[in-house]
Amino acid sequence: MMKLAASTRISATSFLGAVLLLAGMVFSLAQAEEVLVIGHAEITEAYDPAHAFNPTSGMINRVAYDTLVTFPDADASSIEPLLAASWSISDDGLVYTFHLRDDVFFHNGAPLTAEDVVFSFNRLKYMRAQPSFLADPIASLEAVDERTVAITLVDARPSFLAELCNTAFSVVHAETVRANGGTDAEDAGETDTAMRFLNQTSVGTGPYILESWSPQDRTTLVRNPDYWGEQPYFDRVIIVNIPEAATQRVALVAGNIDLATDLTPDQVVALEGNDDIEIFLGPGRWTHFLLLNRDPEIGGPVSNPLVGQAVRYALDYEGYRELWAGSVTPGSNMWVGLAGAFGQDQAVERDLERARAYMAEAGYPDGFEITLHYPDLTWAGVGLSTNAQKLQADLAEIGITARLLPGEVQVALEGYRSGVQGFGYWFWGPDKLDPIDFLEFVPGGKVAGERARWTEDMVDDEIMALIARAGVETDPDARLEIFAQLQAYAQQDSAFVPFNVPAVQTAYSATLEGYLWHPQWGLDMALLSRTN
Amino acid sequence: MPLYQYLLRRVIFAIPLVLGITVVAFLIANAIPADPINANLPQSALNNEQLVAAFREKWGLDQPLHVQYLTYLGNLLQGDMGVSIRTNQPVLDDIRQFLPATIELATTAIVVGLLLGVSFGVVSAVWRNSPLDYLVRVFALIGVSFPVFLLALIGLSVLHAQLGWVAGPGRLDFLVQRPPHVTGLYTLDSLLAGQWGTFRNAAYHLVLPSLVLGLYVSGIIARITRSSLLEVLNSDFVRTARAKGQREFFVIMRHGLSNALIPVVTLLGVLYGNLLAGAVLTEAILAWPGIGRYAYRASTSQDFPAIMGVSMLIALIYVIANFIVDLMYFFIDPRIRYA
Repeated sequence: MMKLAASTRISATSFLGAVLLLAGMVFSLAQAEEVLVIGHAEITEAYDPAHAFNPTSGMINRVAYDTLVTFPDADASSIEPLLAASWSISDDGLVYTFHLRDDVFFHNGAPLTAEDVVFSFNRLKYMRAQPSFLADPIASLEAVDERTVAITLVDARPSFLAELCNTAFSVVHAETVRANGGTDAEDAGETDTAMRFLNQTSVGTGPYILESWSPQDRTTLVRNPDYWGEQPYFDRVIIVNIPEAATQRVALVAGNIDLATDLTPDQVVALEGNDDIEIFLGPGRWTHFLLLNRDPEIGGPVSNPLVGQAVRYALDYEGYRELWAGSVTPGSNMWVGLAGAFGQDQAVERDLERARAYMAEAGYPDGFEITLHYPDLTWAGVGLSTNAQKLQADLAEIGITARLLPGEVQVALEGYRSGVQGFGYWFWGPDKLDPIDFLEFVPGGKVAGERARWTEDMVDDEIMALIARAGVETDPDARLEIFAQLQAYAQQDSAFVPFNVPAVQTAYSATLEGYLWHPQWGLDMALLSRTN
Repeated sequence: MPLYQYLLRRVIFAIPLVLGITVVAFLIANAIPADPINANLPQSALNNEQLVAAFREKWGLDQPLHVQYLTYLGNLLQGDMGVSIRTNQPVLDDIRQFLPATIELATTAIVVGLLLGVSFGVVSAVWRNSPLDYLVRVFALIGVSFPVFLLALIGLSVLHAQLGWVAGPGRLDFLVQRPPHVTGLYTLDSLLAGQWGTFRNAAYHLVLPSLVLGLYVSGIIARITRSSLLEVLNSDFVRTARAKGQREFFVIMRHGLSNALIPVVTLLGVLYGNLLAGAVLTEAILAWPGIGRYAYRASTSQDFPAIMGVSMLIALIYVIANFIVDLMYFFIDPRIRYA
């Protein structure tokens, strides 16, 4: 064997030592970085705020961008300032004037100006992409001065501030977006090419910067060191796409991830008792309901409002709550988390005698047979087939024989949206976190009118007048009163029978602190920190 | 028949096949009684007629079906597979992004499956009706019949979470950076970049998925190898070889196995195509960002350009895989060479 000369040996040893030292330094640097790993079933196709409209992009853009105003951390009970330090609304409710903060800078260091807001909102409006409908109420935008924006609406719209909290209204740096193919011109839908750029980086003002996105694989965010607000705890957040809830659970238990966003109720139950894992369980945003088509030719017996009442009193609401841990019974189709929504304490309770009496009054003392359509899927951990079987059993108690007809999602959706399903089981999540969303479920509303054929001529003028007022009333107390009356009415006469709001369930490492779930953006990563 | 003539004939046969597939895929994708508008616009946006009309116009959904097809075909001939409705990216770019993960997985799985399957098949045939043979046959039966996604989940729960023998979900540990993109195959790209740590990690992450899928492949290959080898070992030329006093090992490997592998090679083309196209559930369970997931999401959102693109891709993969198989015949089977 060849022998190494002493000097060679020494230099080899020194070299090795230096390498080890360097490796050690790199290792300790890497250790010093606080990293948060989130397991999440990614369902976005874009992060460009003018294109993205789904839970994943909402979660990312919540921390990569800021909006003019926002909700409190855990609910939608009020409107809080964010980029706008203050605002005023004209007496006719048409002009909103926002005064911007003067200490806000974009990720590239440029200061926030009114021009950026005008560009961002016009770009959203003219993109004619998924979230563009949110900008429909805007008639025009004006940068009054460097820090003042005036937004003129088409009609008075009391829900406008709540709609502005959506991350679709994220403010981007106009100059950078323009330089990368963006435009806010009326033909933006055809000519804007900035999406590819905005899918890979963010030019916002949020506490995190989008570092990279590999679709269906992972999204990486790094802390914005110059954030104008409170600095977030984690230096880096990696959101890995784990489509299967079962895999998320395994990864969480094995310590591969810190937080799993998409567990199913049974998995959460299985994790109870594990001291290393915390579980969050709260009412989710999806209201499950029955649709009873009001067109006699389509709905048959369920088009009769008396049968609707019979169905309402026949359902075993408590049974659904037991079936889905943490779920609640809604009092109406207005999402239970909204101020003024009828919650479980105001919900209809099962009363089989009353239900049978309604059946007899409607002329069906011996019941009838009907097909129940529903999409064959599991949504947010809730299997619709399981609920459908329970609905079938509940209805059998008052003589209604429901034949279950699960359909492939898109096919069933087509029947639902075109209004040809007589009796259907569906779910709804609010597009806007404002009571105005409930107007979809009253005569003239999208869901009521087109899907249940429940039209304006089927209800009293008095109710229609109330519905008309609900859309424009700006006084908060008067609004609450109007929506309370509409919900009470829906418990007497409605083409819809809401029966359950399943829980949202998140499990995370017990070392994490600050977890809050929000109905708009789901998870705010900037609020999380780690204890030692 | 000379090789070039043989190849040319195969290529010419493939053209109407691929065209036929575009027609079938297009008809099936459009036969679904559902509107892509519903799948791709949020509920509230459906109120806005302008948005709906703009969407239909942008994606050509306002055109008659035959016009849509001919436009698609015309674009395809120019190498343009269209733009995905869902991702807003050219379908070709999407395929480039998602296919390498699946190729890496399917290739390692087929190698694992081939090695295990042939070994088991030989053992089983040579020691026919012995306890070892029964053991291998039970193993093959399990490999073929056990749901792959369930095996993946069990593997993940037991081998990874409890025993720590294999890596967890994903192509890399979540804290490991991806290698610079060259081919999209992480093992190869990390080697090209000289990132040994990343290479080890990527290879480690391939162990469980390739075992899970490889087990399924090996079950099929073991059964075919066994029956084929048994048939060959009973043939006259093998008896002659034995009569000539050749060593048994040589007889089995040279005369037996090389002839018994012909049906296995046939099967390989189909199996590889199956693995590339059919690993949807395995990819979902193991958080493997491959073409299976892309295809699944395209179909559930009625993303016609993407559905067409993936159908074409899978068809092409089958055509190419079988083309390679045919080519291998040319070399391993003298009957074709001299036909």
